[in-house]
Amino acid sequence: MKTETIELLSTTLKISNPVGLHARPAALFVQTAAQFEANIRIRNITRDTPFVDAKSILGIMGIGVKQGHEVEIEASGEDGEEAIKALTELIDNNFGE
Amino acid sequence: MVGIVIVSHSAKVAVGVKEMAEQMSQGRVTIAAAGGVDDETMGTNAERIFAALQEAYSPDGVLMLMDLGSAVMSTQMAIEMMSEGQQKHIKMSEAPLVEGAIVAAVESSLGRNLEEVNRAAEAASKMRKIL
Repeated sequence: MKTETIELLSTTLKISNPVGLHARPAALFVQTAAQFEANIRIRNITRDTPFVDAKSILGIMGIGVKQGHEVEIEASGEDGEEAIKALTELIDNNFGE
Repeated sequence: MVGIVIVSHSAKVAVGVKEMAEQMSQGRVTIAAAGGVDDETMGTNAERIFAALQEAYSPDGVLMLMDLGSAVMSTQMAIEMMSEGQQKHIKMSEAPLVEGAIVAAVESSLGRNLEEVNRAAEAASKMRKIL
């Protein structure tokens, strides 16, 4: 019998674009997260918020991520690794701004 | 994808909210503006709303976001101008106009259904903005 283990991946990132995770960047973040099957959650470490669903615009806007804040992104599921990679790239590239 | 109609007493408000929401959905969602009696006169106009509704309509559904008062009544009239079959796919939302439109545009762009888009838009009224 084969046991499947679902790995929980996590990364910590610093947000450096001027508006933080609001408006267009927040929308881009949610749209990117929604491309993956994995469960993806995010929390604002700086504000010590609980985790919210990364595929919900209300969730993202509700954790109030501003420039300079640190966030933790968690993903579990088959494509979790790709999801973390795509979201990290989005943040590292300042949301293409 | 769920279409969105913005109904306001002001043509400028309706167009402005549409533009803000479109920025969020990257142009993936059909958003139609129906503001004013005409471009210069404040008020609402069922014929204008009906035209916007036809533009935004698809069987995926349309979410109607209104500002206040007669905007709601005119929207009801406009919906009644659509066929009975189409009316089943049209929903009026309690959501706040600006916040609701932004949230609805993003949720629709993710491929969520009419009920899900409306639920998120209505929850926008409880979103904290001063953190």
